[in-house]
Amino acid sequence: MIEVKGLTKYYGQLAAIEDVSFSVDKGEILGFLGPNAAGKTTAMRILTGFSPPSRGTAVVAGYDIKSDPIEVKRRVGYLPESVPLYGEMLVSKFLQYVAEVKGVERGRRKAEVGRVMERCGLSNVSQRVCRNLSKGYRQRVGLAQALIGDPPVLILDEPTVGLDPRQVIEIRQVIKDLGRDHTVLLSTHILPEVTMVCERVLIINRGRIVAQDTVANLAGGTARSLEEIFISAVARDAADDQAAAHVAAASAGGAL
Amino acid sequence: MRNSWAVCKREFASYFTTPIGYVVVGIFAAISGLAFSASFLFYAKVSVNPAMYAYSSVPDFEETLLSPFLTFCGTLIVFIGPLVTMRLLAEERNRGTMELLLTQPLRDREIIFGKYLAALGMLVVMMGVVAVHLLIVSWYVQVEGAVLVFGLATVFMMGAAFFSLGLFVSSVTSNQVTAGTLTFGLWFILYILGSFAEDLPEANPAPESWGETFRNGVGFLYDIFRGFLHQLPIDFHAKEMAKGIVQPEDIAYYVLFAAFFLFLTFRSLESRKWRA
Repeated sequence: MIEVKGLTKYYGQLAAIEDVSFSVDKGEILGFLGPNAAGKTTAMRILTGFSPPSRGTAVVAGYDIKSDPIEVKRRVGYLPESVPLYGEMLVSKFLQYVAEVKGVERGRRKAEVGRVMERCGLSNVSQRVCRNLSKGYRQRVGLAQALIGDPPVLILDEPTVGLDPRQVIEIRQVIKDLGRDHTVLLSTHILPEVTMVCERVLIINRGRIVAQDTVANLAGGTARSLEEIFISAVARDAADDQAAAHVAAASAGGAL
Repeated sequence: MRNSWAVCKREFASYFTTPIGYVVVGIFAAISGLAFSASFLFYAKVSVNPAMYAYSSVPDFEETLLSPFLTFCGTLIVFIGPLVTMRLLAEERNRGTMELLLTQPLRDREIIFGKYLAALGMLVVMMGVVAVHLLIVSWYVQVEGAVLVFGLATVFMMGAAFFSLGLFVSSVTSNQVTAGTLTFGLWFILYILGSFAEDLPEANPAPESWGETFRNGVGFLYDIFRGFLHQLPIDFHAKEMAKGIVQPEDIAYYVLFAAFFLFLTFRSLESRKWRA
């Protein structure tokens, strides 16, 4: 469903992600892990067609993100990290607008908006203005917006940030349910979340993939050991860099 | 097209779910209403005693009152136009909704066209205010139909052309105040360059001592340059049209002006694809 090949993105000289390749099958939930500024959001933004890659490409739901961006966008529901909303709009009006641009037929729009509001627990705030929503409800509106039109691929950038513990459990359950018949790419900092929700994990550090396997294989299924894997994977990378720096310094010294 | 309409509806509605729509239309109604009353009173005074104001007879109603009023409305739209256009794309950038907008299955041209249509919707609302004045006038006076229709069309075209400039400026910045100030500044610079052209001598500036071919060449380029400067003020082509005298070049000017800046907006939005 998602097929990423050699994705690279430069911001000026800085490579935000470098030569990232992975794939996600239909009905799979892939956890996208990594420290801050590892390149998770950059990768997701490329897959959703928000920013173009410098090199490499990806095929999402059967369409290339470079040559058929509109077809890709029709099939992807995206929850951005900061959950941008039109502050002055009513929740229901906003979702209706999204339904319209997502190409949901006129007659089905009301039902579709009702369906996602139900699913994300928004029915009681449908007549509230987005600006006045709490962080948790903003997050839910963002998720609801991604679910409109029932796209086969969901890309969720830290979906449980800012939610209270009960909401976290609810939203995780929603994502788990969605994972049965959708392809989900989910980024998070919360390691237990990965073991609870995801089948497979991809750890990214400084723009490069450092580990990629099933949760069971990586961690024996516990969050504790996943944490160790995460830290060692990230640290190994740093050690490599240090070693490389040593070699570079040594060779520079040799040249002198 | 359906997508443009969706973008347009949302954008237009947000003018009136925030204060900006009411402020813009309210200010426009207040100022155009005052200007209309003032010029109407002045016309009434003149027609009672034309000799006192150096007219030989009662002056033509359309020429002394209506056309100048319509041109004034056009200028007024240019003055408050930046308030309408500055938010169009800059606000999406500023509050991050651009990420949402650009990850929906919308083509760039659908976004731009939808936004532009919403701004034109505001223009139509303002034209509605002008139309109220004109209706009141036609109650008392027999007004030439051509002046009415083309007068309104002039104001609309001038506004539409100017709004395309505003949309473009809004696409290059993420700050609304910057966008508004730049739009207004650009208009003013165009206006000043135009009046600068008025003062340029008509004669060839090249000295007599230069060779004839070279001199003719310089003169030719100078004429083009002067003509170009002349055309820059956005109301240059409106003055005749507001009197009901329509020439294809006047219409072409506004259509091309709008097309040019819509094209630039398109390029500007597209630039995200090749800029880092």
